[in-house]
Amino acid sequence: MPDNGRSPAGAATVTLTIDDREVTVPKGTSLLEAAALQGTALPHYCYHPGLSAPAQCRICLVEVEGAPKLQPSCVTMAQDGQVVKTDSPEALKMRKGVLEFYLVNHPLDCPICDMSGECKLQDYVFAEGREHGRGREPKRVFGRDDFGGDVLYYGDRCVMCTRCVRFMDEVARDSRLTVVERGSRAVIDTFFDEGLEGASFAGNVVDICPVGALVSKDFLHKARAWDLDSTPSVCPGCSQGCNIELHTRDNLVQRLKPRENAEVNGHWMCDFGRANYEGLNRGGRLEAPAAGRGAKRRPAGWDEALGQLFARLQAAAGADVKIVGSAEWSCEGLAALAAVGAETGEVSARVFRSRCAADEDRLPGFPALARRRDLAPNVDGARTLGFSRVGGEDAAGGLEEVAAHDGVLFVLGDDLADQEAAFGEAASLFVYMGAHGSEAAANADFVLPVTTFAEQEGTFVNVQQRVQRFWPGLRAPGEARPAWLVLGALLAALRGGEAAPASAAAAFSWLAGERAAFAGLSYEGLGAEGAPLAAPAGGNGAA
Amino acid sequence: MSEAPFRNPGWAGNTGEFDLAEADVRGVVASDGPPADGGHPSVAPSLPYMLAAKDPAAPLFEGPHLERFEKIKSRYPTARAALLPALNLAQELRGFLSPETMDEVAALLGLSNAYVRGVATFYTMYNKRPVGRFLVQVCTNISCNLRGAEDVLAAFLAHAGTELGETSEDGTFTVVEAECLAACGFPTCVQINSRYFEDVGPADVPGIVDRLQGELQSGAAV
Repeated sequence: MPDNGRSPAGAATVTLTIDDREVTVPKGTSLLEAAALQGTALPHYCYHPGLSAPAQCRICLVEVEGAPKLQPSCVTMAQDGQVVKTDSPEALKMRKGVLEFYLVNHPLDCPICDMSGECKLQDYVFAEGREHGRGREPKRVFGRDDFGGDVLYYGDRCVMCTRCVRFMDEVARDSRLTVVERGSRAVIDTFFDEGLEGASFAGNVVDICPVGALVSKDFLHKARAWDLDSTPSVCPGCSQGCNIELHTRDNLVQRLKPRENAEVNGHWMCDFGRANYEGLNRGGRLEAPAAGRGAKRRPAGWDEALGQLFARLQAAAGADVKIVGSAEWSCEGLAALAAVGAETGEVSARVFRSRCAADEDRLPGFPALARRRDLAPNVDGARTLGFSRVGGEDAAGGLEEVAAHDGVLFVLGDDLADQEAAFGEAASLFVYMGAHGSEAAANADFVLPVTTFAEQEGTFVNVQQRVQRFWPGLRAPGEARPAWLVLGALLAALRGGEAAPASAAAAFSWLAGERAAFAGLSYEGLGAEGAPLAAPAGGNGAA
Repeated sequence: MSEAPFRNPGWAGNTGEFDLAEADVRGVVASDGPPADGGHPSVAPSLPYMLAAKDPAAPLFEGPHLERFEKIKSRYPTARAALLPALNLAQELRGFLSPETMDEVAALLGLSNAYVRGVATFYTMYNKRPVGRFLVQVCTNISCNLRGAEDVLAAFLAHAGTELGETSEDGTFTVVEAECLAACGFPTCVQINSRYFEDVGPADVPGIVDRLQGELQSGAAV
């Protein structure tokens, strides 16, 4: 991994002293990274772990004993016996001076700046800057520039770290951004009116901007950073499964931000995934279980509904079972659904439908990351669990046999939006579990509200056959419950006396015991970054 | 070895040997394009370019200019390194660097057009807008300022009949400020196209403007 700055295991190490504490780091580690390992966070703008370091922001200067002047810690490599002082009077004075220069033309419009609260200029000035500015001259004013796409540029706030320029050069390999003009007139811009339109990873420049110069138009003036809750999650946009954070407020997802995972997405994510969060906020949710077909449908509590459903399933023992799953539901839910089907009778179909894009969209500078063809997060999980894809690339059609099935019919997470009201008319038992109601669920004997991935814990399997956990960022509406909880209870009852999983961890350990592909994995062991499936799923081809 | 007579007046006065006309120094032939033999690659983008006829619609690059462009490319290890002289050559031909020109140079060198724009706008000696027949650059940096450069600038603006940074209506003069022309010994220094006028005071300005007008009419202007 050349781009994460870490030396391969077994490489030589060096021992140096940073702020009177000894630290041993791999050879080739920069002082900035060594200080971070030792617990000292040095300020930096131009340095970013995913990009080259030009050492031009001058804010990470530290004192190195024996060096004639302060050294930029982002490009100075740690050496044996080095004595580094990050907070010597000399270094502090220099950084204070550098910060004063940064503020010469900065508008200090923090109250209306989207970055306020997570801004590095704000943080550093608060920590090490002067209490009061000494400038008497008027500040120069640029106003703002619409770069197209989702990106808006405020030239006055810019600290000219050129992270965005280097991202487009080195990672997106589409050198559309540059520094135009010089000195105090310098701004980031594209080639005249060209803009960033059509650059499918350009949203990352907003993430890596250390100040509020590049902001998202979608998020503009929508929420303050300190009002947002952050939840680690997995992007539902495609089967790449980029690690993300759900930023939520008022029980609504406000934006998605990439979360670092060197194996999956590095520091990045695509604009398609980033813009794709509105579906998580969709209203009109199913909130309470209901039992009964058509006009006979009545609300029922969970106990009542599950009790009735258990009795019906026992009565239907040995029936022909067809299952419609969804690649947007967790592995635990899909596995429990498949097991409930198998306990009930002969499963003759396990299918799911999902949207497909025409082609992949790869990030040239981080080729492991692409917006994949499958536009659902758990396509590979569903396949691993024995579901097969039906229908067209628009996630429609393909359910003719299922619709006319006369046995037991389970639907989980598929809205059946393209299906007619006669769907499942012939079914002896039709169980509809989902987040939203559907006209095609009119014939369902049971309508059970289940939570989306953003409201529950669970796991997805991405295109690299990597199992990744996600955490609940939103409160579930009404009585909606995770599918694994509902189906786990049902399965335990059907199997007679088995303990139902009471937590996502228990559901996953049940899954690891039940399915060979998941064998050997532990929920704790997956951690925040996930782990590869134990055995590559047959027939899918390893990614 | 016979000793050369020691001659150092101690000041850069007129010792006779430097009393040369412009044509003596640059040559009349050179002022119409590059030396016929093309010269050494290292001087391909050098002096005469400032004197070529400028045509905003001139093609990039053809004939002898293509030859020079190829020399420029051969001289530098990367396309980025060759960009400055390539832009010089383009400006020599067209008089200024329009967005279209930047785009063409970018395509010829295989660089992104945004990068070319960044470089072109960084350097003040690239004209990003059309300039007049004479580009008058008045130094207003310290030495010249102490000797009244602001008055010289005002005099040029008045006699050329234009605003700072603008071109006069007849398209003859563009007057701009310049930062240090490296002639601090002879303030105020004014660079007009490729010529230096040193020790210029406000009173000299009408004479210079008249001389330029005269050169224009006689066809001797460079």
